[in-house]
Amino acid sequence: MTLDPSFIWTAFVQILPAIPTTLYITIVSMFFGLLIGTAVVLIRIYKVPVLHPLAAGYVTLIRGTPMLTHLLLIYFGLPMLIDSLAESFGWSFRSVSIPMIGFAYISFSITAGAYMSEVVRSGIIAVDRGQLEAAHSVGMTTFQALRRIVLPQAFAASLPNLSNGVIGMLHGSTLAFTVSVVDINAQAQIVASSNWKFFEAYLAAAVIFWGLTVLVERLTALIEKRINLYNRGGVT
Amino acid sequence: MIKLSRISKSFGRNEVLKGIDLTVEKGEVVAILGPSGSGKTTLLRCINYLEKPSDGEISIAEFTVNCRKPAKKDIHTLRQKTAMVFQQYNLFRHKTALENVMEGLVVVKKLTKEEARKLSAELLEKVGLGTKLDAYPSQLSGGQQQRVGIARALALNPEVILFDEPTSALDPELVGEVLAVIRKIAKEGITMIIVTHEMGFAQDVANHVVFMDGGVIVEEGSPKVIFQSPKEERTKQFLARITPESAYSI
Repeated sequence: MTLDPSFIWTAFVQILPAIPTTLYITIVSMFFGLLIGTAVVLIRIYKVPVLHPLAAGYVTLIRGTPMLTHLLLIYFGLPMLIDSLAESFGWSFRSVSIPMIGFAYISFSITAGAYMSEVVRSGIIAVDRGQLEAAHSVGMTTFQALRRIVLPQAFAASLPNLSNGVIGMLHGSTLAFTVSVVDINAQAQIVASSNWKFFEAYLAAAVIFWGLTVLVERLTALIEKRINLYNRGGVT
Repeated sequence: MIKLSRISKSFGRNEVLKGIDLTVEKGEVVAILGPSGSGKTTLLRCINYLEKPSDGEISIAEFTVNCRKPAKKDIHTLRQKTAMVFQQYNLFRHKTALENVMEGLVVVKKLTKEEARKLSAELLEKVGLGTKLDAYPSQLSGGQQQRVGIARALALNPEVILFDEPTSALDPELVGEVLAVIRKIAKEGITMIIVTHEMGFAQDVANHVVFMDGGVIVEEGSPKVIFQSPKEERTKQFLARITPESAYSI
């Protein structure tokens, strides 16, 4: 068997339509992951009663199990839960109306939430305590101080880790093929299976992933540049 | 008028403030002096509730907070009546000088952006930073940052401005510009409480000097009395040690 360079291009073109699926999964999961992560870290920092041990348990449990396991547990467990609830409450909603990609959104958001909570925490730790005190001293509530002063700076400080997270999720989203979502990787497999040129197809997929990753890196650099406008007192 | 009654504060077993009573009249400039660890900064931070007193009562302009069981709302109200100038400036790092001053006006005082911007620009002009409105804190010298901090405190139009060693982190040559600004606003009749090590400045600007040691107020009075004829032995010792003439007779 020899390499068929022209099929790499053919595969490349045929895989392109799957890019939005991969991007949707990445963006949606990271967005909700960041929200969940921020909520979790605030619950843990402020030791909110009842929720605090739950949040700690969530982080250790999710970080302690593979992303693929989360997906499979959600995929098989959630329909059972929803259908039994629907039956006992008499809802007309049934789990079959959830699109496949929905399971990927839900499970990957849960995965990302646990990892992002640590990323956000590192960012919050990096913000000087004096910033919060200054916000309090001008009369802000803790919520206002967090939203306007602490979190923006924490976000800036955790940007390198965040970009790592986005790239990790971009690549991790390939797992969605296990629940029949056609992402870049799954599309490559489909393209290849018509003529058994797997190497060429996966090579094309690799190039696309790399391109997307470079895009994320560029975007990060752009945001970082903007942040460094105020941060130039730092070590970099 | 500000009235502190029986303010005490402990960190674990370490009792830092042992029942402080202090009354500050409207328009007074109070200088709090004392050796390190005497509790003067802690006392100042208690007034703004950045430090929670263990016991006592804080009363500012008829508004009283019982420190035993303060309501969250009361703490918030108390903070709105006070403003703090920090030793380490603590300017909002991601905001320009102008935005730093505007922040409290927009978020807390609910001014429109235009009103806030106008007022903030005026205040920065007043502290001599009319040309630095768009500079970030990292682009300003320590003295400039501290003057922005003062403008930020002034903007809130508080009952009292609390200064926590405002010049201690500054290069000696930058101290003067900050003290000049404080002196200028002191003349406008704003109530101020200043924790400082600048004896000359305290003597010059304050009209009420408080000497603290070991978590209690040892002696208080007019600067003339405290600096020239202190009654307590501890005050005399302290002043003798830090007054330059007597300290270095080589």
